[in-house]
Amino acid sequence: MDPQIIGQMLVSGALMGLLYALIAYGFQLTYATSRSLNFGQGELVMVSAFVALTFTNLGLPYGLMLPAALAFGALAGLGVERAAVRLALRQKSEGWIMLTIIVGLFLASAAENIWGRDDRPFPTPIPSDPVHLFGIDITPLELSVALGALGVMGLIELCKRRTLLGKAVAAVAADPDAAELVGISATRAVMLSYALSGMVAALAGVLVSPITTVGPTMGAVLVLKAFSVAVVAGLDSGFGVVLVGMFLGALESIASFYLGSGWREAPGLVLLILALAVRPHGVFGRAAIRKV
Amino acid sequence: MRRFLLLRSAELLAVLLLAAVPLAVRNPYALGLLTLLAIYGVLLIGLDVSVGYLGQINLGQVAFLGIGAYTAGLLVAKLGWGLLPSAMAASGAALAVGALLALPALRLEGPQFALATLSFSALTGTALNELEALTGGAQGLSLTRPPLLGHVLESRGFYWLCLGALALVWVTMRNLLNSHWGRAFEALRDSPLATDAMGVGTYRHKVAAFAMGSGLGGFAGALYAFNFQYLQPQIFNYELMAMLLLGVVLGGRKSQWGALLGACVVVLLPNLLSSRRLFLTLSALGLAAALAAGIRGLRRGTGAFQSAAPIAATGLLAVGGLLVKHTEDWRKAIFALMLFAVMVGLPEGLMGFCSRFLAGLFRVPPAALPRPAALDAALPARPPAQGALLVVSDLMRTFGGVKAVDGISFQVEHGSIHGLIGPNGSGKSTLVNVVSGLYPASSGRILLAGARVRPGLVPMARAGVARTFQNLQLFGELSALDNVMVALRDVFRLPLPLVVTGLGRGEERRAQADALALLAFVGLEDQARVPARDLPYGAQRFLELARALARRPALLLLDEPAAGLAHPDVLRLIGIIRAVRQRGITTLLIEHHMDVVGELCDRVTVMDGGRMLAEGAPEAVKRNPLVLEAYLGAPEVVS
Amino acid sequence: MTAMLEVRDLHGGYGSVDVLRGVSLEVAPGSVVALMGANGAGKTTTMRLLSGLLRPSRGTILLDGVPIHGLDGSAVARLGLAHAPEGRRVFGPLSTEDNLLLGAYTWLPHVLGYRKAAAADLEAAYDRFPRLKDRRHQQAGTLSGGEQQMLAIARALMARPKLLLLDEPSMGLAPVVIQEVYRAILRLKAEGTTLLLVEQFARTALRVADYAYVMDRGAIAVAGTPAELGRDMRVVEAYLG
Repeated sequence: MDPQIIGQMLVSGALMGLLYALIAYGFQLTYATSRSLNFGQGELVMVSAFVALTFTNLGLPYGLMLPAALAFGALAGLGVERAAVRLALRQKSEGWIMLTIIVGLFLASAAENIWGRDDRPFPTPIPSDPVHLFGIDITPLELSVALGALGVMGLIELCKRRTLLGKAVAAVAADPDAAELVGISATRAVMLSYALSGMVAALAGVLVSPITTVGPTMGAVLVLKAFSVAVVAGLDSGFGVVLVGMFLGALESIASFYLGSGWREAPGLVLLILALAVRPHGVFGRAAIRKV
Repeated sequence: MRRFLLLRSAELLAVLLLAAVPLAVRNPYALGLLTLLAIYGVLLIGLDVSVGYLGQINLGQVAFLGIGAYTAGLLVAKLGWGLLPSAMAASGAALAVGALLALPALRLEGPQFALATLSFSALTGTALNELEALTGGAQGLSLTRPPLLGHVLESRGFYWLCLGALALVWVTMRNLLNSHWGRAFEALRDSPLATDAMGVGTYRHKVAAFAMGSGLGGFAGALYAFNFQYLQPQIFNYELMAMLLLGVVLGGRKSQWGALLGACVVVLLPNLLSSRRLFLTLSALGLAAALAAGIRGLRRGTGAFQSAAPIAATGLLAVGGLLVKHTEDWRKAIFALMLFAVMVGLPEGLMGFCSRFLAGLFRVPPAALPRPAALDAALPARPPAQGALLVVSDLMRTFGGVKAVDGISFQVEHGSIHGLIGPNGSGKSTLVNVVSGLYPASSGRILLAGARVRPGLVPMARAGVARTFQNLQLFGELSALDNVMVALRDVFRLPLPLVVTGLGRGEERRAQADALALLAFVGLEDQARVPARDLPYGAQRFLELARALARRPALLLLDEPAAGLAHPDVLRLIGIIRAVRQRGITTLLIEHHMDVVGELCDRVTVMDGGRMLAEGAPEAVKRNPLVLEAYLGAPEVVS
Repeated sequence: MTAMLEVRDLHGGYGSVDVLRGVSLEVAPGSVVALMGANGAGKTTTMRLLSGLLRPSRGTILLDGVPIHGLDGSAVARLGLAHAPEGRRVFGPLSTEDNLLLGAYTWLPHVLGYRKAAAADLEAAYDRFPRLKDRRHQQAGTLSGGEQQMLAIARALMARPKLLLLDEPSMGLAPVVIQEVYRAILRLKAEGTTLLLVEQFARTALRVADYAYVMDRGAIAVAGTPAELGRDMRVVEAYLG
């Protein structure tokens, strides 16, 4: 086997894996503050991509389309929190699992009808000629995925550490009652985390669409893998998602090459089940102690 | 007896009516729908086990449908197997895979469990698609319906077969869920901690429940394959799973009639969508119901969102029905809105609502309970013994860096009541948690009747330790009687296959008699049928005590049993604990109520900062200056 | 002079069970009031009802004349009540200094510029608790029990509150450390801080309080000045039967 080709596959796979890491990061954001996450996140990615496509077709230049799409994602995230999560959190139940699934189902149906069931190309100003680095071809699009994902995750982490608001959200994650006592509204913190999670999903949609086209099923495929990454890395850990995401992406490339493209999905799914079996709190996460 | 007859005749009537339909109605389309109804009935009864009884979100049932369908389909098409053997093999395959999935998946909490089942579904779909040589992949698999014992089954015959299958599943599952198995499923949903502490292995039962549900899914899959005689992997998709969940939630969880009702909804939905008029009528009805419920809820103090959301969802359905061109295209959105309205506005489902309504109308008295057994049968007196029952040596338990229990040694004599007191944070509860098996000790030794016991709640319970909890851990949805029955030991000896055929009724009656005796012991015999969460606080504390006694323990651990009790109840508690001692049961009692400790305890151990501070008779301990200082603070604190 | 805190006929609890059955008390401005009693008497429940972590089923709570019963925890904090909860509850993963900064969340700018705005209050906190200054960048979860307690008190003070609730400051601490904590409390008293103190160690509490309430089974059993209570055997009985 030509090491060049294997290297190519691994690098391309790893760069795409950063996309899974990005979506997984969105899960971590909401799980940290509220121990909940959006099971319909895939549909959120897909709808945001379609909305971005619409903005582009309406004539918006890339520089304006991107922030508009991100704003849409944030609003959608807030909508999910209000409609599907807040009630269950108040009742201290896990009803948000079903309710976020339901919201996702609704969005999928709406998208099918508004934009149709066909996959559509996503125009992008980023050039498609590959760049040659260390003997491997990397397309600027793949680079944009990597830079966009790492950049946004880095930016949010920076804000978490530098701003008082970021510390406040970390406080809510650590101890919501104690946070209330210093005047931090746990509800607002949860809202913020869902808005950021939605924004991150929209970014993922915009970054991946030029590569894989926009279609009603794009989200479902992505999000299961993001789940794998989030669970393996640990829903409460930090940058583990980046490593696990890249690992999964590389693994998928290999599986696809040796077993056929239909099996591309398999490593992620098997990984998830194995990880849940062996270490439900993830490779990087911490186990909790039962209090009676 | 009346209730039993009423319910059974309703079921019998329903079966006869359904069986008679093809004789009266000639429409093949209607017959096809009814056949599908029977098949989905089996499928949803299986799904209800994990969703209704275990309270989990199971996103994998559609995969088991597919596994069963393809197993049966392949055995018939490729190997020429007969109908019954391939149906059995299909259930078996699904059950086996279900058990395999359950073993890792059921260690997980709710969201991770949902994720695991979702991944499993996706993986199954991929496998069915990719293993083309075996399954035909996306091209599909064709099969011809095999004959049953030599008779070729046309649509009428096959319908009767499916109806028979539904009836069989109905009866067996009913027997199972009405037995101690069903109680265990509900108990572990309400409090896995208490279920383990009462010696009922939570994990084992969860796996069994999930596997059963999957097996039923596989069985339904075989029938599905024989029905359509053509299979494609795409059928078993996320959308179908959403419809199944809709069926269970809308019909009503934890109810077989609910599953059947849900199956009706699932089967009729496509028809509902193709007729705009029917759709609009039903959504208008739904909107009206949501408005009525919402307004009533607001008056009662239900949250604004909870009252308004179903109205918004049904309103959207009605308005959407008017505006869109083809309701068919918006299938998924319609399911979503229906599910949303039901989940927020009618969480008990249609069946839950109906049974309350019908119970109001018909007032059928429940089956009479047997007379309580003699106390000696339910709680035999233990022979007196000498020496220490519980020996704790140099016990340590650390959390992170904190030494909650820091090297404590003491003994509890057979047949005594031993008190454990100390200020807040002294480690009493941690000590009891280690002795009952909730946490393993970090170091040190615990001997029970001279022997070491494997750490863990269930082994400790089996070894003869029973406990109550500082924060009540009752099985809220179960009745007081059921709470006690879950904990009874060595009463349910019948193996599973016989339970399923309904032969366990005798055992059940004897268990009820024993449980009633225990309830009478604590003064709750009149509230046997009241759900535990509806009992007043004092009664709940006594119920936990009765439940612990159902274990016939050698050692009873009571963690602040008098907390929050009014004075008359405290006196009653003292009397009960004295009566427990008369039965030869040894008690270790954590309490803050000094009058209780003084009245009851033969010996008292005082803890402070994880260590033993003093030990002796209650009067002596009360006057010990070290103990006074621990409770009131040092005489000179601030300089 | 109006009371800083006025509680009338407070009822409340967890779920359908009311642990508190009609509690009334007052805290005058600048005074230290102790709330004592055995475990299960309802002291911590009272505190949680005051600071908004629990909703009362009946009764009123006035903070400096403003009704606060039924408000969320963060709303009550914004109105000037600071609660250092039972078990300290510092933000473990964050540093000591971050914990202190968050204590001032109700009046600091939320995005940038907060360090400058908080500088003076931080210095004052470090003056009061020099040990915290040594550990300012250390993760709060790794501090010792006594240091965490001091951090919890300092964090509550950063809010510049009208009323400070201190819940069981001595719990789980060695006697030497308890002395240090109470020396700090005495200093606060000298500075004129209004303080409601929950303490299970009666002798310790009576040393610093101007007035004390003793709770038993969800209601006030006895109340009075330390001198009066010292002579009243009912106080001792409420603890030891």
